This record gives sequence, C-alpha cells and structure tokens, in this order.
Amino acid sequence: MTVQPQESSAGSAAGDTLGRRLLAFAGSPLFRGDAQVLHDRNPYRRMLVPESLAEPDFDRPPGPGEWSSHRSLAAHRLLGTFYESETVLLPEQGLAGLYEDFSAFYGQELKDLREGSVSALERFAFACLDDAVDVTGAATPEVLDAFFQHMVAEAAAGPSPALAAVAAAGDRARAADLYLVQLALDGLTEASAMSRNLAGAYGPEQSALFKIFIDEFGYGVYDAKHTTIFAKMLRSRGMADHVHAYWNFYLAGPLATNNYYYYLSRDHAKFFRYAGAVTYAEAVFAPAFVEMVAVFRDIFGDAVDLHYCDEHAHIDEHHGRITREQVLLALAERHGPRVVPELLRGVAEARLIGGWFEADTAEQIRWSDTLPRHRELAGAATAAGPPRRSVRTPDDPFGTRCHDGAMVLEIERGEAELFTTPTGPPERMARGDALLIPAGRLYGVRAATPETAFLLHPVSPDRPAAPA
Amino acid sequence: MARVIVMDLSRHNTVMVGHDRYFVLDTGGRAELVRDHCPHRGGPLSLARRTPDGRRLSCPWHGTKVGVAAVRRSRLPMVRSGDEALVVLPDGADAPVSVTHREILANLPPDPTHHDEGAEHG
Repeated sequence: MTVQPQESSAGSAAGDTLGRRLLAFAGSPLFRGDAQVLHDRNPYRRMLVPESLAEPDFDRPPGPGEWSSHRSLAAHRLLGTFYESETVLLPEQGLAGLYEDFSAFYGQELKDLREGSVSALERFAFACLDDAVDVTGAATPEVLDAFFQHMVAEAAAGPSPALAAVAAAGDRARAADLYLVQLALDGLTEASAMSRNLAGAYGPEQSALFKIFIDEFGYGVYDAKHTTIFAKMLRSRGMADHVHAYWNFYLAGPLATNNYYYYLSRDHAKFFRYAGAVTYAEAVFAPAFVEMVAVFRDIFGDAVDLHYCDEHAHIDEHHGRITREQVLLALAERHGPRVVPELLRGVAEARLIGGWFEADTAEQIRWSDTLPRHRELAGAATAAGPPRRSVRTPDDPFGTRCHDGAMVLEIERGEAELFTTPTGPPERMARGDALLIPAGRLYGVRAATPETAFLLHPVSPDRPAAPA
Repeated sequence: MARVIVMDLSRHNTVMVGHDRYFVLDTGGRAELVRDHCPHRGGPLSLARRTPDGRRLSCPWHGTKVGVAAVRRSRLPMVRSGDEALVVLPDGADAPVSVTHREILANLPPDPTHHDEGAEHG
C-alpha cells in the first residue's frame, strides 16, 4: 500500500461541554489503565482510553447504523461506568489496599462529573433508537400480545448469529471464550438494573417482577445466585471471574445492550418501556441458553460447567411466562391503551439492541479467527489519507478501541502484540507487518520490544474490508 | 391469535389483505400503514396529492378532500424497526395477503397546481 505523509495528532472535537466533562471524568487515575491486558481484582479501575476521547464529537450521536462506531464504544464504556457507580461494587478479597480507589470511585468529584453528564450522555448513546423504532396504530393488549409472540417465536427459531460464529470458528474454544466474555458484562452483576424497578407501589405486577428478582439472587443463598454460578462457568474455562477482568474486551454492542436496561430503569418515565424490554429478554433467554449449551457441549464436552446456562434454560421458561402474563399483559390491561405503545416500544428496542449484541460478537469472532487473511487484505488495501503514528513501550497502559472506518495497522519499528480476543495468544507482528482492521472491530496493541512504533492508515471507503 | 406479517419498507409500500389495500403514508417522518380507500366512493388515496396546507389528501377520483388525521384512523398496528415493519392484520383476516411496491403520490410534497374543488371528508 502507499504510505502518505504522517499526521502526528488525532483530531480534536471535544470542545463541547459534554466532551469536556467526559474527558475530565476519564482523566481520573482510575480510568487510565495499566500495562496489563486484563484488569486486576479491582472493580473501580477500568480503562476508558482517555487519549481517544478527544476524537469523538459528542454533539453528533451515533446513528442507527453506527452502533459499533468508536464514539458509540467510548460512550457506552463511560455510561456503563456511570451506571455501575450507582451500584455497590466491593472486591471479594476485601478493600485492603483498595480503599483509596473505592473512595475515588464513589467520591464527590467523580459523582459531580457523572451527575452533570449522565442525562446528556444517555441522549447521545441512545438517540439512535428514536429514529430506529416507531410504534403506530391501535394499541390494545391483543395487538401487543400478537407482536410479542411473533417476535419471541422468531427469536426462538434461531440460530443465534454469535453462537453460529462460535460453532463455525477455526479456533472454537477461543471463540467461545470471547462469547462468554460478552455475557460476563451482565453475568457478573446480573439483575442490577432490574433492582431499580423494585421499589415503589405498583400492585401485583411489582410482585411478579420481584419473583424473578428472587430467582436471580438465588433466594438469598449466595452459592445459588446467578452471578455466583456465572463465575463458576468462567473458572471452569480457566478464566478470570471478577468484575471486570475482561473490561478491555467488551464490545460496543454488548455494552449497549447492558446499558439499555440501566437506561430504562434509571428513569421511571420509561418504566413501561422497561417492562416490555425485560419481558422480551426473559422470553428469549431460555431458547438462547438451550442453544448455547448445545454449542458449548459440542466444543468442550463435560469440561465446562454450564450450570448457569442450564439454570437459565429452565428458570427463564418460567420467567418468560411470568413476565408476559403477569407483567406485560397485566400492565396493558390495568393501565390501558396509553401505555401499550411504550410496552411495545420496549419489546421492539430490546429486540433491536439484542441484534447489536449478536452482530457485534459474531463479527469480532469471525475477524479474530481470520487474522492471517486480514494480513493479506492489508496488502491489497489503498490508504485514503495520512496515517496516524503511535509509539508504545511495554510499560504503557494497555487499552482497546475501534475505528469508524477500516484501517490498516502497520508496524513501523520494533515488534507488537495485537489483541483481538481475551484468551489465546496475541497476534505477533514484526516491523513491516500489516493487518487490516475492519470498521468497528475491537483491538489493542502492546509493545513487544522496548519501543514499538506503528502506523494506522485509513482505508479508502471504495475499498472496504472484505468480509471476514 | 391475530396474524402478523413482516414488511421490508426499503422494498415494499403496499399490503393487500384480500380485496383491501393498505399503503405506507408518511406522516411527519413516521411511516403508517393506512387503508387505500376514499370514504366517498372508494378511490385510491395512495394516488391522491396533498392539498397546499399538507393536511388533506385530494382523492384522484372525485377530488374529495380527506383529512390526513381521518386517514390515519384507518391505520393498522405496526412496529417499525429500521426498514423492517411488523404489522398486525385486522381480526379475522384469513384472506390471502401480498406485499408489493406501487407508486404512491400521497407522500409527495403538496400539489402547487391544486384547485380547491370537491367535497370535504373527515
């Protein structure tokens, strides 16, 4: 490929107020990362890649087709951190040595920045849903149920694109681990968003939701809590089981999916939308976990603990029924046609965002699984503009990101390790090596020599990345 | 259970349910599936032009003015997600259903040559 003159700095578009507040938040030492690829047993530290936050224009929300863009990833990492700071996170080993981080994470300075930004950041992150989904026409419980049953039947018919990508991967174990990591985002803090809709007084529907919550929390028995059995599944794969060891590998689609339920439950004006969304989620979980069990058993046999999936495949049959009959339809009957469009909107949005989870995970699996092919594609690509140059040492903080357009990564000096998945060996790249990074794909580069320089060449839009 | 059909709005704008036709009407940027039937004598409102104020459709058969608000009351329940739309068909609609693309004039800007003639409806 042709190398153009170099540009030394990224564009800066963070002059707006929201952008400045987000930069100030991400500038906290808690969010600057360290040299490790995985995060330590410290739930307060998570890499927000502050140097990349100068790039996004936070006045320009991602459109419906831009859910895997860099600014979408950046926004959802921040939003997820905001939301989790409204939950109680304590490390299993205790706070010894981490009390300062605990104090900073929940402290006034970051709290002020969060509270001054969260509503605007939510609008930024989820504005695309306003354009993407419409509900029109008569709104009766019968219409609601007809739509709902159709969408659930469609989801149950499968297959899951992400699980299909796992099953078709050359390195199926590694692909399965990447899938598990996307589930870990919710799996390790499960039902936290739901807890925000338990308070108040809204009749039998409140009690129905509480029954589901009790199941999620293992009826007060820690060993039966869903987060506990999720951690057991990770350990059976030899993976880290703490919040959030794999933060750097959470994709934009799964982050958006997780954040969506917090977004709805933080604002009780969106309660009916939440009820629609959670009913859809509970209904599609059971068949999804049945499929996951089949794929994982085929790969790992009995060497993986799938108690978590079996539990969901069973209990979500009940949750699907309870939420449909005792939450969704009961709310529609009790509160009438004014709330039905919101219930329906929640169902439709949950389905749409669930599609982002699937598509993002599937694409990342396919790309990670075909890196040699993407070395070849780099050679055929045409640079569309000046490259961006970076220099790294092994001690530099490790972070991951994506780009809105395809890029070619070229090692200019030294050697580097390219990370695209949380498990398995990284892709070793030496001086002169190049590899195509498709738009929206997550990656991180770590120096493997005392100093490594690399270039990122934007690829011409008329020569897009070939499908992985 | 009511019937649900799936439309790709990038390709289709019309649904036939037996002898009843519905078309996608743009109402302020929102797509709604309304009945293609003038209340006067059943003319094709999909081929109507909007009056200069944009609030009525002028039926191509007899020039009857039909308020957009009245046309919207005939809409079928629809959930759009991107270009995909799910539509709940009317009760008892076991008639054959087809989804097609037809020319629709009702979504064009108001007709500047419009003459205010014909009866009002809705």
